[in-house]
Amino acid sequence: MKRFLSTLFVLTLVVVAANAQTIFSEEIELPDDYTPLQVIMPPSPLTLQVLFVGGHDIVETTKTYGNPAGRNIAKEWHDFIGFTPDRTGASLGWVSVNHEMIYRDDKIGDGGGMTAFRVERDPITGLLHVMDQRLEDGRQGQFFNVDFVNTVGETGMNCGGISSTFDGRIWTAEEWFRTSNGSIYNGSVRGNPGGSAPIMSTNDRANSGVRDTSDFVVDSDIQGWDGQTLAKYQNFNYMVEIDPKQAKAIRKQYNWGRMGWEGGVVTNDNRTVFLGPDATPGFWMRFVADQPGDFTEGTMYVYKHDSDDKWVEIAHSVDNMLNLQDRAVAAGGTMYNRPEWVAHDPSTNLVYWTETGRDFPGGRWADEAAEGAVYDPYHVARAAAQGLSSPGDDGYRDTYGRVWVFDPNLNTNYVLLEGGPDWDNADSPPTNAYFGKHLSNPDGLNVMKIDGQSFLVIQEDLNGTSYGRMPAGVSNRTCEVYLLNLAIENPTIEDLIRLTAVPRGAEVTGAIPTPDGKSLLINSQHPSSDNDFPWNHSLTFAIHGFDRVNVEDLADSNPFNTNPDELKAGTGAATADAAFTAFPNPTTRTLFFNKTTDVAVYDIRGKRVQVAQNVSQLDVSTLAKGMYFVQNAKGELIQIAIQ
Amino acid sequence: MNKKTLLISTFLILFFGSSFLNFSTLKHTQSLEMVEQQFQTGLTDLKNKILDYHTLAHQAASSPTYLAQLQEAHLATRLSFKKIEFLLEYLDHPSIKKELNGAPLPTVEKKVPEVRIIEPIGLQVLDEIVFGEAPLAEKEEIERLTELLVKGFSSIYNYQYNIPINHRHIFESIRFELIRIVSLGVTGFDTPGSGNAIPEAIVAMGSIEGAFQAYYPIVEKKDAELAERIVSNFAEAIEYLRVHNDFDSFDRMHFLVDYVNPLFKDILAAHRITGIEMIHEVNNMPQPINYKAEHIFDEDLLNPSFYAGFNLDEAAELKRVALGKLLFFDPVLSGNHERACASCHKPELGFTDGQRTSLAANGKGHILRNSPTIINSVFAEKYFYDLREEFLERQMKHVVLDALEFDTDFFEIVEKLEKSQEYRQLFEEAYPKYSISKWSISNALSAYVASLTAFNSPFDQYVKGDKTAISPAAIRGFNLFMGKGACATCHFAPTFSGLVPPRYRESESEVLGIPATPDTLRPTLDKDLGRAANAVPLDETQFYVHSFKTPTIRNIALTAPYMHNGVYRTLEEVMDFYNKGGGAGMGLDVPYQTLPDAPLNLTKSEIADMISFMETLTDTTGLTTMPKVLPKFDQEGQWNKRVIGGTY
Repeated sequence: MKRFLSTLFVLTLVVVAANAQTIFSEEIELPDDYTPLQVIMPPSPLTLQVLFVGGHDIVETTKTYGNPAGRNIAKEWHDFIGFTPDRTGASLGWVSVNHEMIYRDDKIGDGGGMTAFRVERDPITGLLHVMDQRLEDGRQGQFFNVDFVNTVGETGMNCGGISSTFDGRIWTAEEWFRTSNGSIYNGSVRGNPGGSAPIMSTNDRANSGVRDTSDFVVDSDIQGWDGQTLAKYQNFNYMVEIDPKQAKAIRKQYNWGRMGWEGGVVTNDNRTVFLGPDATPGFWMRFVADQPGDFTEGTMYVYKHDSDDKWVEIAHSVDNMLNLQDRAVAAGGTMYNRPEWVAHDPSTNLVYWTETGRDFPGGRWADEAAEGAVYDPYHVARAAAQGLSSPGDDGYRDTYGRVWVFDPNLNTNYVLLEGGPDWDNADSPPTNAYFGKHLSNPDGLNVMKIDGQSFLVIQEDLNGTSYGRMPAGVSNRTCEVYLLNLAIENPTIEDLIRLTAVPRGAEVTGAIPTPDGKSLLINSQHPSSDNDFPWNHSLTFAIHGFDRVNVEDLADSNPFNTNPDELKAGTGAATADAAFTAFPNPTTRTLFFNKTTDVAVYDIRGKRVQVAQNVSQLDVSTLAKGMYFVQNAKGELIQIAIQ
Repeated sequence: MNKKTLLISTFLILFFGSSFLNFSTLKHTQSLEMVEQQFQTGLTDLKNKILDYHTLAHQAASSPTYLAQLQEAHLATRLSFKKIEFLLEYLDHPSIKKELNGAPLPTVEKKVPEVRIIEPIGLQVLDEIVFGEAPLAEKEEIERLTELLVKGFSSIYNYQYNIPINHRHIFESIRFELIRIVSLGVTGFDTPGSGNAIPEAIVAMGSIEGAFQAYYPIVEKKDAELAERIVSNFAEAIEYLRVHNDFDSFDRMHFLVDYVNPLFKDILAAHRITGIEMIHEVNNMPQPINYKAEHIFDEDLLNPSFYAGFNLDEAAELKRVALGKLLFFDPVLSGNHERACASCHKPELGFTDGQRTSLAANGKGHILRNSPTIINSVFAEKYFYDLREEFLERQMKHVVLDALEFDTDFFEIVEKLEKSQEYRQLFEEAYPKYSISKWSISNALSAYVASLTAFNSPFDQYVKGDKTAISPAAIRGFNLFMGKGACATCHFAPTFSGLVPPRYRESESEVLGIPATPDTLRPTLDKDLGRAANAVPLDETQFYVHSFKTPTIRNIALTAPYMHNGVYRTLEEVMDFYNKGGGAGMGLDVPYQTLPDAPLNLTKSEIADMISFMETLTDTTGLTTMPKVLPKFDQEGQWNKRVIGGTY
């Protein structure tokens, strides 16, 4: 529930009584002899730097579709970010950025694609610097289009991917499962009553699909695939390895099969890969290479929780790999509701993944269940709690999604953190117990070490705004980035730490830490409508300063009292009679109060600028630097200096 | 306390001088509790009505009065919904749209990597069936739909029953409901089968009156006259609806001008006077509606900055709008230096070009579609007839790259503009950090386009109080447009486009079955696939075949010919097309036509009245001036001979 959260100015922990809402004066004046308590909110240790702006920065292109090598404006819709550390120490490493789109482009190539660039850190300013490079193919510049057209064939809707925690190898994933050549070409409409031929709607070169739909002859080092002739659409929907240093694709991973892949990881043995496709049903898949580091040969498996060793092999053949989803169903694999990103913590070898959820998945997996695929017991239990016989029921709801863990030692999947809170299945919460935090539709996921401790970086991508995914009366779709300390056992939503350094309103994805731990790279995929250039573009930016943050700085609990009930009642450390006071956390930009109260924020001229009800903390990240007053329901004032 | 804060604090004391601490501790608890109680009672009542409806739907249809009972249960359910619609919609619009009162049209599931069609469910679908030609033949469908209604509403009920409501929610939701009543209620938008729009409006009006009554004592204490005026306006509005309850003859103009508009203004005044915070103090995201606008047809009701994606006032201040205007009229942007934006968007024609479809660059035939007006065009969720572009700033890219339009690219444009010292300077001033780039060029142009807004036509002047601004014929025409003519159920107030009130976040497209030629005897369907072929993955669906954005009809008198293909030369022809029930009504095979194919039975004089109304929507005041000179080029002498506004 972001009802009181984040996109609002406010973070509520406890609601006392919804009805007793204070109405604050629109203006206040201070008497001569009045000196309010003063609290200073120091500047955030975290700072932003824009690195790569889609639709604006120029990429160096290769010879494509008969056009000479040259330059073009980069594609947009940034999604996954890969980071390949530079072992030589000559730079920090190579960044590769996915473009999640299907877009015709004479020079970059049709479909989606990627852009690669190399960064170094300025030792004095700490900023990242995009380096000038000269590649083996002669291209020179800062940003390079990753050549797919002349290597492995176009890609489409490059969404997630793999950035190997072992050695920085990069794979890009192509979701949006394609089922015909028409569907990769502009303007195809299935069952088009006007005729089945695709019709170009306009002469607009900015907006079309994949121009070359002739059969594709595979040139690959994967056994059994070289020389295979595929219908063009069948050459989409793979994990595709690229070389970010030379900005060209290496191979489509035909032997991992054709699915609407979204995310994956390579684990510590450099042999085992875990993968998930964004679909309902989506299966939890595993590839085990015969030799570490050589992913051209190995075995594919589908997770089946109710089988003896939890995994069922799917034999490698062109036919099986082209129809991997069908084979997973036939194997009786365990079904999930839109698996998204997969992340790996090398320090524990645990694998985390998001199941983003889908409001009504029932109709999407009932058929597969009839054909032998099975529901994860977690979904069976949820359906039962909703009074339904099966997750295949049309009424089954999965509004908020969740984060899973796969533990290779236990060889099993379990839920780490359920989204929500989900109030669909019981009476809605009484007003005096309404929740303050909410996690909806987690999507992007990564692991980051801060102060020696592993944190999950969870990025939302809301499927909708209903049922509390956005506050009442507010329909701006806003996705948050949360940190979750992985040392916490059985974490709850209250343990999430909102990363306020991310620009408000930006739809964020792709978060990945730099190898020196100082920065987190993030894509703002969807332009925010209320930020000026370049924040209204798809862009890659860095949040610097994580080396200056320790675990305590990220604590998101009220230092006055850890027991919300006592805080509410004004008992415990903060009594009802205690003077109103506040404590600042500059990292999370949060002001904690010693009691739960209605508050109004006034600017230096005494004009009311912000109001919040029943809060014990206030997010001040949206307030400009300067002096403010915070008044509580009793009329007590605190002066805050935001720096 | 450190030295710095001490200094600041001293400064503050000086600053605030000799005044005193003053804060309000007023608590309006009772008012809020009253509304909450009304809401909870309403939720329970609706739950029971839905259960009754469901039970009845599942009974055998043996009794001769069964259908009448079923229809009665349907109407009772809808009226119960209308009692709490204002809060239900305000608190969680998407779930209400999806499960309770969405349009009876299929949609596509958002945010999934496949085209997944969601069949419509809810009360509007039932409204069409239960009051359709043969409801009992579709009894199974009615059973299924009421089953889903029970399921869907139970989630809504659970979620909303104890939802915390704030004071401001109530004032905001009352005002949104006023817009909803006038734009979606009395127009018959959500009663497609029963036509029970006026009785529903009575209930909806009564519900927000009830909510206001809860706050009456507080408002009255501050301004008795205001409180009294609101209450008597509500009473009169409801009385007016009761007495004039015939859908076709209901005087929507009178209802709007004399009741809804004053209430919209006065409820804002009441909100202000209570001191209750407003939305911008709780959420600083830009909103489509300027909550402080006093009038539904105010020039500032809609916030162009929200739609444009940048702050338009700042853009004007930074001279970006002015620079955009120069670019708009400058043919140097096009590949052949003949075309400017203004070639196809001529100010004197409401920024259209008078052609069926615009002439292609270099005279190579025509482009695919008719040039639309760009006045008020910023107010949209998506741009182009096929809704292919989500961002105004990216709209220009399509024109630049199109071989039949500008036929160039941004590298060429930047290179050319940089050859002009004058342009370099203008960009340097407007975009000091970014200078001449794809973005700054696109941003300047979109800033100019976003500045082309006009809501002060004779019609607007009339609804804002100037009783002489339009003729009786035009008033009759407005009433037909909003009622019997069923125009306003797609061309929504105040833009009279497909921008759906009262949230104004969604732009609709419609399948009308527009023919390729004006020949009404042997019509053939226009082949343009429209939205289905816009290359937006989620729009690749059959029900978007031949679907086109619902354009504004403001300035329609200037923008002939009409429709995406310019097939109709006159408004008479357009009206004739609608009067016949669109393409399907003319006998064409249009499987997903969203326009009812039944004739509207509008008489000649009714059509004339409606056209009179449409002709009162002209306002291009202050928007039609062209630059007197364009920036000079230093070396390329021949470029300085280019024509301002371009040529064809």
